[in-house]
Amino acid sequence: MLWNSYIYFAVSAMLLWAVGAVLSLLGKRRAAIIFTSMGLAVFFTYIMMMWVMLERPPLRTMGETRLWYSLFLPLAGLIVFLRYGYRWILSYSALLATVFACINIFKPEIHEKTLMPALQSPWFAPHVIVYMLAYALLGVATLMALVALMQRRRQSRWARQASPFDGLNSLVTVGWVFLTMGMLFGALWAKEAWGHYWTWDPKETWAAVTWMGYLVYIHLGPTANRRLSLLWLLLCFVMLQMCWWGINFLPSAQGASVHTYG
Amino acid sequence: MRREEFKYRTGFIAGAVLILIGLALQLIVGSLNWEVFSSPVNFIALVVLCLLIAQTYALRKRFAAASFLMKRQAAVPCLVYVTLLTALMGLIRQVPANEVSTDALGLSRMLSFWPFVLVYLWMTFIVGLVAFKSLLSLRTVSLRNFSVLLCHLGLFIALSTATLGNADMQRWKMVCLLDKPTDRVINERRQVKQMSVAIELKRFILETSDEGMPRRFASDIVIHTKQGEQISATVDVNNPVKVKGWKIYQFGYDVEAGAASSYSILELIRDPWLPAVYSGIYMLLLGALLMFFTNNKNN
Repeated sequence: MLWNSYIYFAVSAMLLWAVGAVLSLLGKRRAAIIFTSMGLAVFFTYIMMMWVMLERPPLRTMGETRLWYSLFLPLAGLIVFLRYGYRWILSYSALLATVFACINIFKPEIHEKTLMPALQSPWFAPHVIVYMLAYALLGVATLMALVALMQRRRQSRWARQASPFDGLNSLVTVGWVFLTMGMLFGALWAKEAWGHYWTWDPKETWAAVTWMGYLVYIHLGPTANRRLSLLWLLLCFVMLQMCWWGINFLPSAQGASVHTYG
Repeated sequence: MRREEFKYRTGFIAGAVLILIGLALQLIVGSLNWEVFSSPVNFIALVVLCLLIAQTYALRKRFAAASFLMKRQAAVPCLVYVTLLTALMGLIRQVPANEVSTDALGLSRMLSFWPFVLVYLWMTFIVGLVAFKSLLSLRTVSLRNFSVLLCHLGLFIALSTATLGNADMQRWKMVCLLDKPTDRVINERRQVKQMSVAIELKRFILETSDEGMPRRFASDIVIHTKQGEQISATVDVNNPVKVKGWKIYQFGYDVEAGAASSYSILELIRDPWLPAVYSGIYMLLLGALLMFFTNNKNN
């Protein structure tokens, strides 16, 4: 019943984000911020309603984590917009959030109340929320890297107004800090739940790959080949997807991960 | 400009050589046996590693290679190799440590695969070296220096102690029957031993949700010590009980009998290196959090 009302919240939020994105492209800064924030408030209200109805944080299934991702993407976009003023960033973050919000419209997942004993822990919410925030920030960073790569190919008008490089390094760093928090919270939790902080479970292995991949980028100096660095950033995002949902389809991880909660 | 590029290349060549050495070792001596690192070998190895790091730092002005290791041109290629080898591990199905590898080369036991081990050792060495360097350069106090120190020192401590301490970790399963104290435990290798404490299951608890899914399973137990003490406790999933350096976890029960299960399986774990690993984890966490505040100055 709760899931049925999702479409109304999602569509309203997506419309608000779209209007915010257009206003931003037109240079109406304040209005863009207001509309995007309203969209965030609508979407956040829905998540909170789910939290109350399910009597547990909605963080268990892939569908539930996608909700948070759809929320955090425009939030990350908004933060970058406030900080660096790129007019185009809200369009990208809104578009990506729309994609994820729509996946949940077309492929709703059954949300039942039960939370298996292993997930009943104070670590559950911080671990997953911090990870979703990291994924969203690094998603926005990936968009910026794509723009930067295209910008080198052809000097297009819409991409030239602000160099996407300015905020990119900061964004990757902040995203990496959240990745670190998510990973270490996970380790501390795993010790309490499963008896060991790190067991090289496929999810953990790919979390390590992602973490070290972005660490490579953070260690790059100003003399590093810019194009290669940006391409590496794209590869990191592929590895991140592998960690998030790709291992569900990876033959080597079938039945081998304890990180499967349906 | 050319020189910088050349230096990144040096790091990549060094890594390739290291992997070749690892492959040679793999073919000659076979997979690394981590069990040799049980105490006191792991203590000695850690001390030797720290001494080598200090020695390398001391030689930084005399040998270009020593100072090179502290530069990003060495760190980046090393991290690229670590990332790619770990991704390879993620792509190949791994077998448990006590089983034989399913492929001839040993890739399905990546943690014992020499190129993997050497590349991780290389990373640990560099991280330790940078930690040592930032420890000595802390005279110029700044938030950034402090953050760099905590990140590198934390990661070095966590990586080295978690890896070396693993051989000292003990994990035993205990099948507890209702009202019958037992001290017999068994491990993954089917070795059996007697614990210094006996545990008696008083009550097994299983709560199910409306949908019939298990929502909670736990064991009310009494722990009998050698000194005649009796400690009552409840072992819950996510809530292990601590007794005399051991942590007792709820592991399993008779799933078919459900709430009527006449036994409960507990897991007893002892990891003497855990405080060291945790200190590293907390340092890394704090160092990373400080990066929120130092971030803007980097760019």
